[in-house]
Amino acid sequence: MKKNILFLVLLTSIFAACEKDDFCIQNPVTSRLIIDFYDDTNRETLKNVQRFSIIAEGKTDSLFVNTTSNSIAIPLNSLTQETRYTLKKNDENGAEVDDKIATFTIQYDTEEEFVSRSCGFKVIFNNVAFSSDTNGWITDFTPTTIINLDDQSAAHVQIFH
Amino acid sequence: MYKYFISICLLFVFAENFSQEQKKDNIIPQEKDTVVYKTNYGLRLGMDISRPIFSSLYSNYNGLEIVADYRIKKNLYIAAEIGFEEKTSIEEKTSTEDLLNSTSKGNYIRLGLNYNAYDNWLDMNNEIFVGYRYGFSLFNQTLNNYTTNVSDVENGPYFPAVINNIGQTSTSLNAHWSEFMIGVKAETLHNLFIGFSFSYKLLMSVKDPENFKTLFSPGFNRIFESNTGFGINYTISYLIPFSKK
Repeated sequence: MKKNILFLVLLTSIFAACEKDDFCIQNPVTSRLIIDFYDDTNRETLKNVQRFSIIAEGKTDSLFVNTTSNSIAIPLNSLTQETRYTLKKNDENGAEVDDKIATFTIQYDTEEEFVSRSCGFKVIFNNVAFSSDTNGWITDFTPTTIINLDDQSAAHVQIFH
Repeated sequence: MYKYFISICLLFVFAENFSQEQKKDNIIPQEKDTVVYKTNYGLRLGMDISRPIFSSLYSNYNGLEIVADYRIKKNLYIAAEIGFEEKTSIEEKTSTEDLLNSTSKGNYIRLGLNYNAYDNWLDMNNEIFVGYRYGFSLFNQTLNNYTTNVSDVENGPYFPAVINNIGQTSTSLNAHWSEFMIGVKAETLHNLFIGFSFSYKLLMSVKDPENFKTLFSPGFNRIFESNTGFGINYTISYLIPFSKK
């Protein structure tokens, strides 16, 4: 009887310790750039961008098409050291003539870091610098540089429009 | 109601007595069995046959293990296993791209005790045992290739991922672990034993490669996220008898 209990305890401890580590629960593994849109005149308040679309240079598919939002998360290209996005907004009734265009460029160095068996390697972007066309609808943005991009808890850059 | 709960329970208590006793002088004194069944003591040597089988079945695995134990008491054995293992662990991202592809290769030793919890009948020498092992391995791990994880779950990757085929090898890695075993051994022919055991392993320390992790250690098997592992052994061994006790 004593032995049976011993076996039972051993078996329970074996199966109680079973776990799955086949699934990566971290999403995204590589951090995306989070942009918040603020009002240019009243700089403390978030302002929605109307009928917003965004596409990266060299891509044919847009990340967002005609959405209304004041915060977006966009990926950066880890194969190059620069990602240039074209942002479109339309404050009017959606007619194509009223589309306003701006470009936002992000420059960085990349570094690869191991996360876990199921998540693999992530990319950390270091020495990130932002720039924007002067003739676009983006009037200002802050900050202009960040040391590294490796977390998703808060917005990385504020864009005023 | 609850106040009287215990009292109510007491209502159902009853005592049973029996007033007759068997007279002691009616019992015939039994003679004690004096025949002692002797079993062989000695060194048992063998090999794990599951490892060559897995080596031929799977192209990403190679392994060999020599097992030995020595009986020190009626139910106690000193046991050891020495082996070599090579395993390529692949984490697939898609059917064509690997998230991680790494190969571990090296040698290991496991030392410990087996306790036989089975009462043998007559002069039989079978075992249902529990055991403990301390394990140590020395190995290299090569990260053959990997793809950076830049996709997100909802939309997939927007930009292509970096595919890296550098093949960096980290040498002289090591691992220490504790292992709890449960298994059976049966004497199928005279002095020839077939055994099966299952083990649960707890990693005590491991040297990880720089900016990577040890995913497989020889002797330990796959290292799970919580630093635990499982193993099985299927052994054939031969007992070289030294004495009969």
